Amino acid sequence: MLRASCQLLTQTALPAGKSGGSGFALEFVRWRRKPRWLPVAKSKMFRVPERKKQSEEERTELMRLHNQYKTQLRSVRQFLREEVVRHEETSTADHIVLTPEQEEAEFLKCVDINATWNAKIAKERDQRLAKEREDKVAYVQERLEARQLREEERREQANLRVLREIESSKTFITRENLDAAIETALANPVDHNFAIDLAGNLYRGRNSSQVPDSTPSSNQHALSN
Amino acid sequence: MSLSPASGIGRFYAKSAKIIRFVRLGCTNRPFYHIVVMERRKNQHQPVIEQVGSYDPLPNDHNERLVALNTERIRFWLGKGAHLSTPAAELLGIAGLLPIHPRTYMTAWRNRRTAAESEAKAETTA
Repeated sequence: MLRASCQLLTQTALPAGKSGGSGFALEFVRWRRKPRWLPVAKSKMFRVPERKKQSEEERTELMRLHNQYKTQLRSVRQFLREEVVRHEETSTADHIVLTPEQEEAEFLKCVDINATWNAKIAKERDQRLAKEREDKVAYVQERLEARQLREEERREQANLRVLREIESSKTFITRENLDAAIETALANPVDHNFAIDLAGNLYRGRNSSQVPDSTPSSNQHALSN
Repeated sequence: MSLSPASGIGRFYAKSAKIIRFVRLGCTNRPFYHIVVMERRKNQHQPVIEQVGSYDPLPNDHNERLVALNTERIRFWLGKGAHLSTPAAELLGIAGLLPIHPRTYMTAWRNRRTAAESEAKAETTA
């Protein structure tokens, strides 16, 4: 990154100043220094950097304070080290050593606790299962009743329909009364054609010149065909 | 730079040098520090062993600079022999966990001196 930026700078952005005013949006501020392989500038060749001035009294004072601090910190560290050791010894987090009898007793105790838990949970589970069974039975019963009701209704509807059909079958044309029906139809021709004019008069029949059903008008003959 | 959890996912050798120091989070012109325990040789933005506090150096509306410290874990790690960076030592000194760091005194007296000087200069000009 350093080299790339420096090369870019030498090519394009160096005459543009420290950080602003470059031709495009390149701004290098933090890594603006020349490449490692360039020598010290001639003007800086014999420059001796000025040392920060430190007064003697400040130096001695800081020395005293540092000595004091280091001593105090050493004792604090000693204390904390001992504290950690003490804590590790007293805490029973991960290093409990038990005799086989103790382990056996511990195991039995755990088994006991486990058995009581199991009994309690079994009781709860039985109650829950019984309740669920009851609910299921009730649900099935309800559904069965509903189904029976539905069936009855359906049967009633079907009966009604059968009765209606029987009623209407009295006027059916069958093979026996076919000739009679044909004769009746031929004897009574029916013409369903009609015409209608703008006034709403109805002229029945295809070729008839009959008087319209409603009030007669002046142009009835013209429109009757 | 991803944020590693405060419980720490940094891997470390048992006998390597640990250090309690700041990790600079936040962004440009807005520093914010996590106080962490990590291996001394590692870069500050590596995963940490454990985060033991946070430090917001910019004063808030009530002119407070907020610090949170997990003193129990700091005591533990110091007892384990963790090193301290200078800023962390200054902060812990001011917090009262450790003795006051000499640099705190130095900054204080230098600030006092510059204040006195600027005051004297203001008096002479006025």
